[in-house]
Amino acid sequence: MKLQAFLDGELPEREAREILAWSQRDREAASLLAELRNIRQALAKSEPHLSHPESREFFWSKIEREIQRLKPHPVAAPPRSGFAALRRWLFPAVAVSALVIAGVIAYFQAPTAAVQTVADADAPTVETTLANSDATTYRDASEGTTLVLFSYATDDNPVKKPTAIN
Amino acid sequence: MSGINYSSADDDALVKAARQGELAAFEELVFRHRDQIYARAFSMTRHEEDAVDLSQEAWIKGWQRLGQFQGDSSFTTWMTRIVINLCLDHLRKQKRHRTDSIEELEEDSGGVERQMPVVTVNPTAGLERAELRKKIDGALGQLTAEHHTVLVLHEFEDMDYKTIAKTVGCSMGTVMSRLFYARRKMAALLADLRKES
Repeated sequence: MKLQAFLDGELPEREAREILAWSQRDREAASLLAELRNIRQALAKSEPHLSHPESREFFWSKIEREIQRLKPHPVAAPPRSGFAALRRWLFPAVAVSALVIAGVIAYFQAPTAAVQTVADADAPTVETTLANSDATTYRDASEGTTLVLFSYATDDNPVKKPTAIN
Repeated sequence: MSGINYSSADDDALVKAARQGELAAFEELVFRHRDQIYARAFSMTRHEEDAVDLSQEAWIKGWQRLGQFQGDSSFTTWMTRIVINLCLDHLRKQKRHRTDSIEELEEDSGGVERQMPVVTVNPTAGLERAELRKKIDGALGQLTAEHHTVLVLHEFEDMDYKTIAKTVGCSMGTVMSRLFYARRKMAALLADLRKES
């Protein structure tokens, strides 16, 4: 294999001179070197020429179809700086965070009032406003009556007691 | 659109247009160089269908990576490197599923080539170029994938031992021994072919 490395120019100059000298005095080495040289020369000028077996149109159609499928066009240059790369992630992350924060704020500020209505088309309705648990509304459409009961604490009695407004 | 005449433009102009998104410019590049890329894929794989598929894949990757082409080498050299790497990946996958024959194992273990008698008469002397190409193609087909790969990379791609070792993923010693075996085997095969004819 030293002969091969010599033939391929892969040896340092001093070693190449030694191999050359050896091949010149040793018949077997000279024969082997000649064989390797013949094959190398033959290959150098005789790479097989091959034609693509498919038609130009058919081959291109397959490539084009795959390129279209893999869009977008990939020629855009990659980010050249670390900040540019960071910015690609930072802006979307900030946007998502803002949405999350807005959602949380909206949730906690949402009115806690809920109106529960016990409904019966004919029966009187009673509404309890949870936001203000001190008020209860009694409405009787047939009688044209609306009664609102308030409960509040007084100085004398810290326990809330109802007061009716007709 | 660049407004260039694709059929008369040189490769640099076509690459520039293709990088701007002009698919027609890229089509012209494919048309011009598809035979060469296919031939390289075939010389690596020795299988027509695989070579067609791998060369197609190489062109698609070429389109995707046009932004990375710096112009340090020619466009065809750059595309050839892409198809070579695809072929090597393909051969590695095949090797994992392949059962080596005894002959292939002997070749891989080294030493067999030293027992081959030296071919003293130039087996290719006097052959017409077309005939020589045909014989060489036939002989290449009788080498194992590992051997014809290093031969192709060294003889047709002008890669040195170190570059081949890095490309293929083996040591320089392995490259040298495979190349040595491949050349000796080619000499023997061509000598046999000459005797037959």
